[in-house]
Amino acid sequence: MDLRRHLDAPRYEVMWPLARKRITQRAEVAALTDLSGKTVAQVWDRMFRGEEIFAEMREHLSAQFPGIKFIPHERFGDIHGPDERAVVAKLVSRLREFGCDAAIVGIGA
Amino acid sequence: MLRASVTAEKAGIPTVSLISSGFLRLAEATSKSMGVKLPLAVYSGHPMMDAPEQVSAKAKAELLPAVIAGLTAQRESAQALIPESEPQPGSIVFSGDLLEVQEHFLEQLWSDGLPVVPPTSDRVEEFLAHSPYPRDHVIGVLPNEGREATALSVAINGVMAGCRPEYMPVLLAIVDAIADEHFRLEDAGSTPSWEPLVVVNGPIVKQLGFNFGQGAMKVGRQANTSIGRFLRLYMRNVCGFRIPPGDGDKGSIGFTFNVALAEDEDAARRAGWSTLAMDLGFGPDENVVSVMSVVCITAPLYSAGSHAVDHAHQFAEVIKRSFAPWAHVGLRKGVWTPLIIMGPEVAEVIASEWSKDEFRRYVQSHATLEAGMLEEFSLPATAMPLDLKRLVAEGLLPESYAESDDPARLLSIVVRPEDICVVVAGDRGRNQSRGYMPNHHQGALTSKRIVLPDGWA
Repeated sequence: MDLRRHLDAPRYEVMWPLARKRITQRAEVAALTDLSGKTVAQVWDRMFRGEEIFAEMREHLSAQFPGIKFIPHERFGDIHGPDERAVVAKLVSRLREFGCDAAIVGIGA
Repeated sequence: MLRASVTAEKAGIPTVSLISSGFLRLAEATSKSMGVKLPLAVYSGHPMMDAPEQVSAKAKAELLPAVIAGLTAQRESAQALIPESEPQPGSIVFSGDLLEVQEHFLEQLWSDGLPVVPPTSDRVEEFLAHSPYPRDHVIGVLPNEGREATALSVAINGVMAGCRPEYMPVLLAIVDAIADEHFRLEDAGSTPSWEPLVVVNGPIVKQLGFNFGQGAMKVGRQANTSIGRFLRLYMRNVCGFRIPPGDGDKGSIGFTFNVALAEDEDAARRAGWSTLAMDLGFGPDENVVSVMSVVCITAPLYSAGSHAVDHAHQFAEVIKRSFAPWAHVGLRKGVWTPLIIMGPEVAEVIASEWSKDEFRRYVQSHATLEAGMLEEFSLPATAMPLDLKRLVAEGLLPESYAESDDPARLLSIVVRPEDICVVVAGDRGRNQSRGYMPNHHQGALTSKRIVLPDGWA
């Protein structure tokens, strides 16, 4: 490098080009110690073979955790459909309405 | 999909999200930016590429343990997810010569790979002097990283993109448009890889020297090029849609940014047609930006003849053939708004016999594909059949889409005539037009009035 040229070059003090983050806090989430007897929602974006994958989850989880219950995705709507925002906006109230202790959400790909 | 998980978690309901391994970095970045570290169950590879027995095996071996672990895992406290310390907006973060600035910005992933104009305080102030808003004015909080879109951040990225200070009102209106919920900016990192397209209308087109004639969509005129570049740079820096080694943008292949498009309003008026902005409800003398996604562009659309139908026939033929592989997605969402850039002389021939609405009706009714072909393209993309009866029952499509089960029946790929947008621009000397396809409701056409500062000449 030509040091002289480098030293003579104009210098620029430049500003940070990003912006402040705003992150909303969340409620404390109580961990489930056991899935037995729990109600689990299956929330789906109707893509990427979720019908097969969710069926597998139901089968294997039912075998391991007695009394586990599933609420099918149709009860919640399509979280990737044209009314996605409305479906997601209602999701928490729907989960509570069906007494869901937890939710399995898919398929992101 | 992650928004559903985050919504539930923020309400105190534990979730686990099923994702493919290729989606992992985006999922981690997105969930973190939304303030929740989501438990993820990762499917190696992509389920669309596996045989049924492989899907079953991976579900049991990979997803099941992660689902159990995820639902029973202790959550990190919200406090632990407050991002690491970042500079204050407007702070000086580096000092160096031109090349050192470029290197620093590249290392920090603050560049689009092209040289940037150093955003010094003096230059940024010149931009802010052309803003109708104060520097801290917050236009919105933008996905994907939940950052505030401020006049200051617009000015800094405008400087970097090579804009001129007087472009500032246009840049602010663009960010106002993408910040509108209707635009669905949160989907800008989706795999189809769409790019935003800015359309400018009004007297400001001539005031700022936009090219609306020959080569209208080519790099080479400062207003068109730098404003188009600005939006891509802003979505990268402030929104956080970055390709590797960054994250947030999961576009599979993609294409380069679009230069801003300006309408040849004199040509539209000569033809007796309204401009795009007027079609969208604005006055003829209002300055307006419209922003929409573009995922696909037609081949050059040459049309010839002395009658409107000669040209409209060619538009319908080219559009249906160019957009055939992706039209099913627009039907799934019930809406998409193809945009036609129509050459001025073509517009004059069509307008001599038809209104713009008549042209739209012709193209919509003649741009048709066999239902079986739409279905054939749909399955590899989503693994879900194009269930037209359900879409009709849900009110997304008119009843005509479910009148028959015949796979050979012809269906319009554009749902409604009024969804077709027309902008007159391009070479007066040639009979060429082009069609631009949006990514359905992602990056939906959104327009905003350009607010000028006091003293604008």
